[in-house]
Amino acid sequence: MPNKVTIWKLRNNNPLRKSYVSTNIKLNEFDALIRITVEMSKYLYPYIREILKSKENIEENSVIWNDFNKRFIELIKERFNIDSMRVKKLLNQDENDEIIIKSLLVLSFCISNQGYQKLKNFL
Amino acid sequence: MQNKLSFHQTSASLEIIGLPDYSNNENKDQISIISQWKLTIVDKPLIEGKIEHLGPIMDAFYIYSNLLIKNETPIYESKLIDIKADNLHIHNIVLKSSKPNVNPLNIKIGNTSLSDTINCFDQLNESSKVRIKKTVVSNYIPKKGRFGLNSKVKFLNFIMPPFIAIFSLILCSSTFIYFYNPIEDKEKNELINPE
Repeated sequence: MPNKVTIWKLRNNNPLRKSYVSTNIKLNEFDALIRITVEMSKYLYPYIREILKSKENIEENSVIWNDFNKRFIELIKERFNIDSMRVKKLLNQDENDEIIIKSLLVLSFCISNQGYQKLKNFL
Repeated sequence: MQNKLSFHQTSASLEIIGLPDYSNNENKDQISIISQWKLTIVDKPLIEGKIEHLGPIMDAFYIYSNLLIKNETPIYESKLIDIKADNLHIHNIVLKSSKPNVNPLNIKIGNTSLSDTINCFDQLNESSKVRIKKTVVSNYIPKKGRFGLNSKVKFLNFIMPPFIAIFSLILCSSTFIYFYNPIEDKEKNELINPE
């Protein structure tokens, strides 16, 4: 990854995005994205953990979960193609809890040094 | 004097107690012969055991986490440990003692404790100071990579159709094989040349 612009361009390979560009992603670029994700999840593990904990004790501490959920939905609406059925599913409050929790769990399981390999297997 | 090594991750900590294998010229601080291990999860009873229990328990956690992520029914059952999901946030662990007349230990943990525990096991796997027998790690192969019954069935599906086709061809064509019969030939010749 020579610079941040390359990462930004690579993100547009996601078909759910509004700015989707259908260029074939190379294997080394795919690997690089996985490595970035793992490094980010290592760095953000305390936050990921707090979000999961807030959802576990939603009656006692719902603030973190609600903030995260709100921000997640805002980002999806802002950047994803909301006409897509898959994006609609992400926006649906009744269905998106499971998707969000599982995504956070995947990230939290991949913070070890071999997290890259684990995340690849999960995908 | 036994060596002690601890692996911590927020609410979980794993302690490994054992000795180096001096016959392999290992360092003093190495652990290759594990005599005891203890897994502590905050606000939960202490889980401890011997080396023969560590492998199956680590496998159980890894396999269960895989099932949980891959949208399959998250239930893991074995002689030593059962893990199943009560709901999206609570995981029910039943630890069965290998000693007689000891009741199983029930523990309910959340997603955070589950991920902390798995991260402790990851640290143990990656540690250069603890050498655990291959079986412990090698059993943790994601389902994709396993050569199990599924692959055998696929192999049979691949090999069986051409085998059946060739076999049926041989069977059908063999009924039409003409075997030379010298007596019949002689009779025919006699009919053509009555002399």
